[in-house]
Parts: sequence; C-alpha cells; structure tokens
Amino acid sequence: MSEVALLQVIGLGVIGLGVAILLFIQARFVRVVGFVMIVLGLFSMTALGVPQMASLPPAEEKFDVANIKTASDMAAIGQKIFFSKGQCALCHSIGPSESARCPDLKGIGSKLTREFIYESLTQPQAYVYQDYRHEGLPKEYPARMPYINKNPIGLSNNEILSVIAFLQQMSGEPITVSPSEVTQPAQTVAAIPVAHAQ
Amino acid sequence: MLNHGEHPRRIASTGRGQGSLLAGLLVFLALAGAPLLGLAQDAPGQTAGVAYRDIPAVGSRNIVWVIAQLHLLLAGFVLGVPIFAWICEIVGWKTGEKRYDKLAKEFTKLLTSSYATTALFGGILLFMLIGFYPKLMAYLGDIFFPSFVVYCILFLLETATLYLYWYGWDAMQEGSKKTLHLFLGFLLNVFAFFIMIVPNSWATFQASPVVIAEGSDLARAWAATWNPTWWPVNIHRLIANVVLGGYICGAYAGIRYLSAKTAEEREHYDWMGYVGNFIGVFGLLPLPFAGYWLMREIYQYNQQMGITLMGGFLSWLFILQAMLIGVLFLGSNYYFWMGITHRIPGSEVKYRRPIMAMLVILLLCLGVWMTPHSLVASLEEARKMGGTHHPLLGVFGVMSAKMTVANLMILVTFMSFIMYWRAGKEETAGWAKVAKSIMGGVLGVAAIVVIVLGVWGYFVPAIVRINYFSVAQVLIVLFVMLTITPLTALLLRSAKTTTEMVWGRMPPRAGYALVLNAVMVILLMTLMGYARSSSRVHWHIYGVMRDSSQYAYSPALGYAAALMSLNTFLFCMLVAFIFWVATMGEKAKAGGGGGKG
Repeated sequence: MSEVALLQVIGLGVIGLGVAILLFIQARFVRVVGFVMIVLGLFSMTALGVPQMASLPPAEEKFDVANIKTASDMAAIGQKIFFSKGQCALCHSIGPSESARCPDLKGIGSKLTREFIYESLTQPQAYVYQDYRHEGLPKEYPARMPYINKNPIGLSNNEILSVIAFLQQMSGEPITVSPSEVTQPAQTVAAIPVAHAQ
Repeated sequence: MLNHGEHPRRIASTGRGQGSLLAGLLVFLALAGAPLLGLAQDAPGQTAGVAYRDIPAVGSRNIVWVIAQLHLLLAGFVLGVPIFAWICEIVGWKTGEKRYDKLAKEFTKLLTSSYATTALFGGILLFMLIGFYPKLMAYLGDIFFPSFVVYCILFLLETATLYLYWYGWDAMQEGSKKTLHLFLGFLLNVFAFFIMIVPNSWATFQASPVVIAEGSDLARAWAATWNPTWWPVNIHRLIANVVLGGYICGAYAGIRYLSAKTAEEREHYDWMGYVGNFIGVFGLLPLPFAGYWLMREIYQYNQQMGITLMGGFLSWLFILQAMLIGVLFLGSNYYFWMGITHRIPGSEVKYRRPIMAMLVILLLCLGVWMTPHSLVASLEEARKMGGTHHPLLGVFGVMSAKMTVANLMILVTFMSFIMYWRAGKEETAGWAKVAKSIMGGVLGVAAIVVIVLGVWGYFVPAIVRINYFSVAQVLIVLFVMLTITPLTALLLRSAKTTTEMVWGRMPPRAGYALVLNAVMVILLMTLMGYARSSSRVHWHIYGVMRDSSQYAYSPALGYAAALMSLNTFLFCMLVAFIFWVATMGEKAKAGGGGGKG
C-alpha cells in the first residue's frame, strides 16, 4: 500500500469515527471532538487529492572528466542542470509559455555571445532592462535573476559552462564551450574573461 | 504516523480525568525520553562532531514538527489572549459593563496555566533541537547569543507582570488602581510583543539571512535580527494571534453554550461567543493585507523563494489555504447572520435578501480563489483543453483574480458586521439619510474600483499590477473600513433601539460554527508554518547552511496535511485540558452552591 493510500485509509477512518460519535454519543464535549475529527479528516482527504509533489534536494551532476569527450556531452549535462540544480526552468521557458515569468530562452544561444551569457549568470546586475524590453538606454534595475554561481543555487564553473553549452545547442548554434575547459572540481578555476556587450 | 495521536486518545477514553492525566503523562514521558534514544544512535566518542541525530521509525523531524507546532500554537494563544483580555477590560472600564471585565478576568485566568504549558513545550523544543540539530543550533547560538539574553530578561519581566496583572485583579478594581491595572495589562502586551518578535528573528533569519563577517557580536546579532522578512512576519503573527485568541474564545463559548444547562449560562456563553467571533473577524479583515506584504517582501528578497511558494511545488498549498480561509469567512459570516436572525426577533424577513446576496457573492469569490492556475488533468484532458490551463477557468487561476476576490470577501464580511451592528436599531439623527447614502456610495464605488483594477490587472505588466494595482485595492478596502466604521458608530450613538437583542436563543449549530472557525484558524497556522519552512527547500539557513540530513526534502502536501491535522487535534485537546483545569474550581463552587440551595 502506498503512503498516500495509507493516509487516505486513515483519513477515512478518522471521518468515520467522527460520524459514529455524532450518531451514537450524546455527551456534548465528545460530540464536538467527533465534529473536529470530521473536519480534520476532510481537510486531510482534500490535501491528499491534490498533486503530491515533494521537494527533493537537487541531484549533484558528477563531472567525470574522462567521460566528457565532446561538446555534446557537456550540453547533455547542462540540460540536466538547467531543469534541476540550476532551477532555470523555475522562471524561464524554452519557447513561449503561459507560466513563464522571465524571458523565453529559446534561441538565446544565437542572440547572445557566450561571454554575455556567462556574465548574465554570474553578474546578473550588470545589464538588466526594465520589463525585459531591449530598447532605449540600459537602466540599473534591481535584478530578479539570482547569482547562479553563489548560494542558494551555487553552480560550479563546470556546471555553468555546461548550461551555456546546452543553451547554444538548443539554439542550433555551434557549441563554443570545449570539453578541455572542464576542470577537476578540486582545481582552482580561472574566471572567464568577460567582454562587455555593446 | 497518526498512531502517535491515536494512542493517548485511546487511553484517555478509559477513565475521565485520570485517563487524560495518564495519557498526558505518557506523551510527556515518551517525548522527554526521545532524545535519549537519539543519543543512543551515536557511539561514545562520535558525538563531538555530529551534525544530526535521529529517532528510528518516528523520525527526528516529525518529533520536532509536532513539538514546534504545539509550542507555536500555544505561544500564539498565550500572546493573543492578553490582547483580547486587555481590550475587553478597557471596554468594560469605559462602558461600565461588568460582564466585559468578568470575561477579561476569565481569560486571564487561563493565561497562568497556558503560560506554563507554553514554556514547557518551549523547553522540550529547545532540548529536541539541541539534540537533533547540534550543528545548526551551535551556528544560531553563535549569532544570536545577545538576543538569547534579551529573551530571558523579557521572560522575567513578562512573568512578573502577569503575576501582578492576574493576582492584583480584584485588589485593583477602583479608581486609580484600575488605571494602574490597565497599565499593567498594557505592559503585559508590550513584553509579550517583544517575546514574540525576538524568536521571530531566529526563524526569519533562517529564511532570509543577513550574515556579516565583521563587527562585534552585538552588531552581527542585530544585522541578523533585522533581516528582510522579520517585520512582515512580526506584523502578520501579531494580527494572527489576535485572530487565534478571538476564535478560541469563541470556540470555548460555543462548547460551553452547547452544554449549558440554565438560561443564564446560555445567555452568558452566547454573548461570549459573539465577542470572540467579533474579535476574530476584527483581526481577520486586515490579515490578508499583512500576508500580502510578507509575500511581497519574500519576492523582493529572493524571487526563487517567492516562486517556490506561489508557483512551484507549494502552489497547491495556496489552494488549500484559499479553501480554509473561504470556510473561515463563510463560518464567521454565517455566525453573524444567525445572530441577526435569532437574537433580533422579527429581523428574519428583513435581512433574508441581503444575506442571500452576500452568501452568493462569498461563494462565487471562494470559487474563484480556489481555482488553481493549472488543473489536475489526464493527458487526454490536457490535450482537449490545449494545455494544463483551462480556457475559461484558467483566467481565474492568476493573482489578479485572487486579489480581487479576497478584497471583495473582506468587504462582504465587513458589511455583514455593519449589518449586525445596525440591526434592531433606528437612526434618529437628522443627517442619517445622507450618511447612509454616503456609506452605500463608498461601498459601491469601492467594490466597482476593486473589480475594475482586477480586470485591468490582466493587461498590464506584473510589476505594475503588484506595485500599484494590488496596493490600490488594499488601500481602497481599508478606506472603506476606516470611513464606514466611525460613521456607523456616530450614527448609532443617537439611534433608538427598536428590538432588544435577546441572548441565548442561538441554535446548537451556532456553537459548532464557532468550533469550526477555531479549527480553521489553527489549521491555517499549521499550513502556513509548513509553507514558510518549506520555502527554504533544502537549506537550514537559506543559502548559508545546507540541510544534509536524510530529511532535507520537503514532504508532499498529503503527508504534511496529516501531520497538520494531528497537530491541530493535539492542540485542541491541550487547550480543552487547560480550560477544564482552569474552570474546575469554579464548577466545584457552583456545584457546592447548588447543593446547598
């Protein structure tokens, strides 16, 4: 029996007991207890009726350098990170979506340079346009985009490069991130030089 | 999991008073002994660097969940009741109606026993936290040590003031002594407020930490205390405590009303139920605004956290919240309406139509509020709809619609109260007609503007809706309350009572409505506690200290709701026990008196 089914049986049991109390017991206080049991049972049953989603800690993507041979391998890891640890899909969509709260990332790899994407991920305050309208002079605006390389998301440099590879690949662009840039986690990573966008 | 609660209940049924006592003792011994089991999990010598301890089968998180929830609910009750009692005492003092003073005293009596129980659960919680989460507690202790000292001092002051307030009640009834007693009540609430906001800083720090590496201990503690969600939570909890105090008073009155044997008892508890419901509603009306402010601050602090709450895995929680708040609004209004039709003879016909209209509006609003953004649908159903968003209902699933209906429900509830207030009275002032037209106009225009802003909200960027439209809706509703309340009070000052209110004529379902309202408020507090805690996802301290225990995940709503129900049930039983103990002497006195008579 699954956990949900077990809880439903318990919930029904509590409701049944409450109904039995109201039907057969006259003592006022006990009747009120029975009434409370029915209310709580109904609440539990309603909560069990909605989608049951637990929030699991993000899975860590293992960077086995020996297994990363091509840029596509990196993009495959980047895709996983995009939808899990990176939490990118929490706000961004790939293609138009009603539920997306932030810019659609479809084709972003062909619109922005790799350096600009890297800067957007690690220094989100650098260039943000009000309401994402890419017109007029850029204004400094409190960025809603979090620092991806810092906690609570805290992607490593390898992971950020993989996400960039994924964004480029899904935009149909050649992947400019090379597997040779992937470093062992223990090694110190040099920051990618950032070229300011025009 | 529910066995945890079933066991004491079964034992309790074996005897009356002794059974409850035995069950309570067993629960206490089981909980007090739990950390020993946890310690038994660590071999000697391994405990120095241990980050977590656990209790097999039950789980350390479940234990902490139950104890923390009970402590928080008791604390809410203990902090809400003095506000409630103090307001009643002032009303009694100002109007000269002794029954208000009696009510205030009756509830203050409960404070002494519930205060001790709250402290007891606080102590158990502290031991549990130190035992189960030593690393986290060491970190928090390091940052917040200065506020621990402040907390202890506040407790001493609160305890001393409570003793003076309670034991000095009869001695300080006349003249300047009464003023001193009222001042003590004020002090009691001031200390209680600070006792609430100090631990709030520890909890809110976990969600929105501010960590500074430099500076003195005091500077670090102060920076951590004044974190982005501290004041929104302080205000939200303060109002929520008033609501909890009011509705629990109502539930107590409801139960006593149901079991009342004499007409005098029925009258007294009917009136007490009215006061409790009134104070509960009084607090309930501004509560959504405080909640809105809190959510806004969360979004400002970290948008991901906001999205996790409102659009992520917790989004369905807000449908449950809408259901609970909706039932609470309906329950409160229903009680008002029953009051009009049963306590004021001859008013059934007069008020039937407006009551029906208000009921329809409330149900429609509740329907919109409860509409989820994306529906639970099979693949085939989703294909037919063209996605998970229903072509028609999907429109109601967004914030613009929900803010609008929440404001409309508040307006309707406010009007229910005004209707009850004016029932059975005839305004004699010459300007009454003009005043009533102004009130009607203000209400009508406000409702229209709230709806227009709600609809317009669909066509503007989110930032405009959140920053301007939603705020405007809130301000409009507040304006209505702040205009109509004093105007009505002024109007009724010279009004003639056409039909005297008759207490003690409410049907039994009124008592159950009061109990239902209290259960809804308690459930809401447990639900939103889970939301606040889960919004940190797999972090003990968001972005600073990660939860690396086996309980780093947030459980699904069904499991969480079962625990919430258990906690609500245990809290209700605890409060019932406290009420029973506190009124034991009174009953014995009444029984003795009856025997003599």
